[in-house]
This record gives sequence, C-alpha cells and structure tokens, in this order.
Amino acid sequence: MSVLKVESLTKRFADVLAVDDLSFAVEPGEIFGFLGGNGAGKTTTLRMALDIIRPTSGRIEVLGNGPDRRNTAAIGFLPEERGLYGNMSAIEAIVYFGRLKQMSAADARAHGMELLARFDLADRAKAKISEMSKGMAQKVQLATALVNRPKLLILDEPFSGLDPVNQQLLEDEIVSAAKGGASVIFSTHVMQHAERLCDRLLLLRKGRKRFEGTLDEARAQLPARIDAIAPAMIETVDGVADARLIADLRDGWGEYSLALSPGVTAGDVLERCTAARLPLRRFEERRANLHDVFVHLVGSEESAR
Amino acid sequence: MIHNILLVARREFRQVVALKSFWLTLVLIPFALALGPLIGESLDDHDPSRVVVIDRAGGSASAALEARFALDHDMQVLADLSRYVQRYGLEKADPAAPWALHDRLYTPADVLAFRRSGGLDAALAKIGRVKAEDTPAFDPPPADYTFTPPSPALAQAEGPALQTQVDTLLKADKKAAARADLVVLIGPNYPRDPTVRLWANERPKADFVTPLQDTLTTDIRQRLLTGSGLSPQAALTIQSAAPAIAVTTPPPGGGAKEAMLVRSIVPMALAYILMMGLMLSGSWMLQGSVEERSKKLLESILACITPEELMYGKLLGALAIGLSMLTVWLGAGAVAAFASHGAIADLIRPALAPITEPGAIVALVFFFITGYLAISILFVAIGAMADTMSDAQGYLMPVMLGILLPVTFLLQAIIAGNSGPMVHVLTWVPIWTPFAVLARLGTGIPTFEMVGAGAVLAAFIAIEVIFLGRLFRASLLAQGQKPGLKQMLDRLRAAPE
Repeated sequence: MSVLKVESLTKRFADVLAVDDLSFAVEPGEIFGFLGGNGAGKTTTLRMALDIIRPTSGRIEVLGNGPDRRNTAAIGFLPEERGLYGNMSAIEAIVYFGRLKQMSAADARAHGMELLARFDLADRAKAKISEMSKGMAQKVQLATALVNRPKLLILDEPFSGLDPVNQQLLEDEIVSAAKGGASVIFSTHVMQHAERLCDRLLLLRKGRKRFEGTLDEARAQLPARIDAIAPAMIETVDGVADARLIADLRDGWGEYSLALSPGVTAGDVLERCTAARLPLRRFEERRANLHDVFVHLVGSEESAR
Repeated sequence: MIHNILLVARREFRQVVALKSFWLTLVLIPFALALGPLIGESLDDHDPSRVVVIDRAGGSASAALEARFALDHDMQVLADLSRYVQRYGLEKADPAAPWALHDRLYTPADVLAFRRSGGLDAALAKIGRVKAEDTPAFDPPPADYTFTPPSPALAQAEGPALQTQVDTLLKADKKAAARADLVVLIGPNYPRDPTVRLWANERPKADFVTPLQDTLTTDIRQRLLTGSGLSPQAALTIQSAAPAIAVTTPPPGGGAKEAMLVRSIVPMALAYILMMGLMLSGSWMLQGSVEERSKKLLESILACITPEELMYGKLLGALAIGLSMLTVWLGAGAVAAFASHGAIADLIRPALAPITEPGAIVALVFFFITGYLAISILFVAIGAMADTMSDAQGYLMPVMLGILLPVTFLLQAIIAGNSGPMVHVLTWVPIWTPFAVLARLGTGIPTFEMVGAGAVLAAFIAIEVIFLGRLFRASLLAQGQKPGLKQMLDRLRAAPE
C-alpha cells in the first residue's frame, strides 16, 4: 500500500491553476524528491496532502485514509517557513507538537530529549527558543517534526537556510528515517541533495508533472554524450548523430563531443571504432546529470541553482 | 478535537500568564481600586473651617451664631448615631433615647434632650454595654466650622487697617494659629443697620451662608418682636413655631436608590470586569496571533490540527484568562470585605442579594461567558488577518471604540438610574447585550427581555463562529496580504475549503 497516493489532483486559486491533474505515489521506506522551480506547485501539493488546504478536484490518500487529521500521529512535517513560539523552551516546544500529534506528554518528552541529544542540544533543552541561534532553533523545529516517529515525513524545502553542517545533519536524518521504514517526501530545487538522497523523483512545471521515476530514468531523459579525442573520421562512425569539434589538436587529431543516435550506446560506438581500426586517445561517456534534466524538462526560466 | 482545543487553550493561557503585563494588571487593578477611596479620603479636607466673628453690636449675635452651628453639628451627630444604632440593632441600650427613635427628623428639642441626657459620651456609654465585640465603634462626624474670637486689634480696627488684618487672617498658612477661613463683621448699629459683612478665602458654602442668614434673621425678628411689645418668651415661641414632620425611612442600605446602587454592585462590577478583561486579553491575544504569523508557525500547527480547533482553542484560552482575572479580582474584593468586618461587609451582604438566586447566578455566568466569547472571536479574526501589531491595532481600534464607547455611556446611565429607550435598545444588540444585562441585573430586568436578549446573543455567536471562522481559516495562510474590505467580504462569504 502506498503511503501517499495522489490521483488527478487539481488546485485552482481564483484564476491561477496551481496544480494541474497531478498523480503520483510514494511507497513505504522510499525517499521521494519533489522538484520544481518557484511557483511550480510543490508547497501547494504538500499542503493538500496535509489537509491544510483542500483540492479543487482529484483524490489524495494518506496512509490509506483521506487527508485529514486522523493521520496526524503518523506524519512529520517541516514547513519551508519555520518558526516556533519564542517564549517556549526547546523541550516544551517539542512536547507541545508531540501532544498535538496525539503522543503522551511523557513519551514526547522522552523522545524529544533523545532527539535533542542527537542534535547536540541536550544542554539547551530548557533554553527559550528566543534565546537560541537560528541554527539551533532549526534543529529544534526538525525535532518537532520527528518527535512522533513518523511513517510519512514531509519536508518542504528542508535545506533552505541551513548551514552545511546542519544540511548534513538533515541528510543523515532523512536517510535514517527511511532506513527505519518511513517514507520521506521532500521538495527542493537544490539538485545535489536530490541526487544524493532520492530513490525516485517527480519534476513539476507550472503545476503539471513533467517526469516521475528514478534518478537513472531521469538521466536517460537526455541522450548521453561522449567526449573523444580522435581523427576526423569519427564523425562518420555509424551511430554518431552529431560530432562537434571542440578543439583542433593538429596532425589530424581533434577533441570532439559526440551525440549518439537514439538507441545507440557508448559501447556500440566504441565497438564500431575498434572494428574500423579508428585510433582513439580519449573515449569518455558523459551522462546527463539532474541539473541538465531539470533544465531540459522544467525550462531555463526555472533553472536550478 | 477536544484534546487539541484544550492543548491550544492551555498554551494560549500559559503564554499570557507568562507576560509581566498580565501579573501587573492582575495585581494593580485591585490595588488601584483599593487605593482610590483611600486617596479620595486623603484628599478630603477634614479640617473644620475657622470662623472669626467681629461683633461690635454687643456680642449677642455672635453668641447666637455659635449656638446655631453647635446645634446643627449636634443634630448631625444625633442623626448619624441614630443610623448607627439602627444598623446594628442597639436600640435596647436606651429605647426612649432620641437616638433610638428613627421615625422623625430631629428637632432642636431632640438635641436639647440629647444634651440633657449627657450627649454623645453618655449615649456611647449606654451603647457600649449592649454592643457586640465585633460591632465597629461609632465614628462621629467632625464639626464643619469652629469659632475663634477676634484679636483685640482686629476687634477695634477700621477702614484699611481692618481690611489688612482680615486679609492677613484669610491668607495665613493652614498651620498658623492666627488664621481664618471666614470673617464676619456685625456693625455697631446692628440691627438698625442690618448690613453684615462676610469675607472668605474661597467662595463661601451654602451650609455656612444659609445658617448665618437664618440666625441673623431670627435675631433681628426677635429684637423687632420684643421692641413692638411682645415678651421675649412670646417672641421666641413665635420664632420657634414649626411643623413636626414624621418620617419613615428604610434601614441603612434599604432605601430605593441606595438599595438599587448596592444591589447593582456585583452585576455592575462584572460588567466592568468584562469590559476591562476584554480590553486586556484582546491585546494579549493579538500579540500571540501576530507572533504565530510573524514567526511562520501556523503551517506547522495546521498540519496537526484544524483551523477550527485552533480558533476554539484560542477562544477558550482567552475565556480562561478572563475568568482568572474575574476570580482574582472578585476574590480580592471578597477578602477585603470579610477582612474588614465592617462597613464593606455590611455593604457586600445586600450587594450579594441579587445573585443569591440560582436563576441570577446562571444569568451572570451565561452573560459573562457569552459576552467574552462574542467579543473575543472578533479579536481572533483580527489576529488572523494581521501580520504585525500595528496592523492589528489598525483593525482593533475601531472595533474597540465601537463596542466600548456605547458601553461606557450605558453603564453611566444605569448607575444614574436611567432606563430610557437607549438602555433597552442596547440590551438587544448582541455586542452590547452582555454589558447591558449584567449592569441591569441589580436594578431589575424583565425575564422576557433577559431570556430574549440571551437567545439573540447565542444566535449571534453561532453566526460569528460560522462567518468569522471562514475569515479566520481563509486568512491564516494569506501571509503578507493585507486584506481590503472586498477581500474581507470575500473571505466571509467563502465556503470552507
């Protein structure tokens, strides 16, 4: 059973179509990346999954139920815009959110203290949020999302505003939650995090799905290129759709960037070069990265950082 | 749902209770209320006004004046003693004494009888024998005027010298031995020349001028009557002829207007506490709501609970704050009353009369709670729309003025005993109903009016919950958008998402 299942989801705000006929599913233990530029509909979709706003049409299923507060106990949520009550202590804030997620005060306190210890904040448990640094407060907020040991962890732009140390801490927590059996869905437009973490990805553009699949499947959306140093004859090898001369290396040698015909692999071309006794000083396959795929599918106007 | 509402309410309550301003308000208001009468008391001038009479016509007019003011003071002492005896049921000390008879306006004859029987000291001795230990002692009223003879120089001075000496007396320091507040000059040709000169260091009060005029008029007439051949006794008989007025007065605190005021104390206090509580907790609630919006907390909260649970929790938290303030302030009043064992406790007893019946208690609780909810929900909606305190104040000020200005006039009108059409109209307008009904409970409000206005108020709250709930929900996540009137109306109309 999918932890989160979205079918034909549409959300319209007055004249703006924020989410357009979107369908996807997140499976147990999966880390699912929700990628798109600003205004692509990522936050709106996550808010609908959390029942903060209601869809115009379509269907959402969370842990086998409709998207309502029955799921609260099993969901952890870290919003893009973060904040906590300034006059509460760190542990009070964690216990408060734990109790809102139907935990007992004792359980919330015990697990909250565990999380604070893990985040190196045990000695600041009773410090007021208003007296903490921004980084510390962000760790406390992460603890409020994790306190109920969620089966579904929803993180909206979780890496924004974090320093590199806290980014690594968050990556570790995401991996750890997934290893523990939780499904993690996070939105981002930082491709490196998605490449490192995601089992599957979904790319959104102006509310519409442009791609859903694994990282390899995403890379396969763009043809692989080969960087080669070879004689000009390489342009005529069967399977090479386009050979762009990058630099003339004299004595008949040149540096080329080769585009392959559909269905042709780098191995096929190498085999044909060998059969034709074509000498090669360099033959290196370069697969498309997620940035390239994002730019290709989502558009240069929403290019990733 | 209840669990989440209670959690939010508890957090709201704890947030306000953590504010220094909450504790300052909680302590300062009873303190200020207690201090008010003490300051008022200290501002009252208890020193009697000093009167110097320069009588150059032989001294009989001066003596008559002193006797008259002494008689008036003794009459006041007798009247106060009579009310004291009546209040504590001490008539058995001497049932025939004038101070044990309460069915008359005291006359000079009563004062003479009082003096003949030993005056205040003798009366208090008799009363002391029957008085219970915890009955407070009688506090006699101070004399308003004391008479001082003029200095020989002043008695002889004429023209500018007289004016200079009088000015010196009137302008002298309060603590100076030779000073006066009023100087009366009776000329050597009095009563043939009936001109009497009066100097005063401020506008003379009627309670001095009237007896002065009265006494001198009597004196002149006495001289004229005896001058026309009547014996002094016959002339005096004519002068003192007066009707005997029999009076029936209710016991202290039982008079119509007095009773109305006393019975109104608790309901009126509740109306004022409701008003103050709303002003204060409204401001604290807004601070909390603005913090939630400015610190981007709402999304995290709304992922766990519904907007309705958040709104009801906030309302309940505000109500808890209001009831806490009510409990502390009324508790402080009760402690003060019972600790005093005296006048306040006596006042409180009849003041509690209107709330001793179960129906009245239900009405007080109902209108206090519904009043709090009806107004607090407006603050909750304002809080959902405002990103900053200045935004919030912009919405709050007109709302507060719209509610509280008519309430101020309403309470004053009810205290003054007015029950004109505006009082009835305001009773039926839901945002003013709680104040009007609470304030009118002491003076009496028809049952149909109370029940009807209560039903209208309950219906109004239900409508508020529906429409302002929509506004609340629609405004929660609309960060950074200051809604205009059209947007507010759209949000009010919008069906829940």
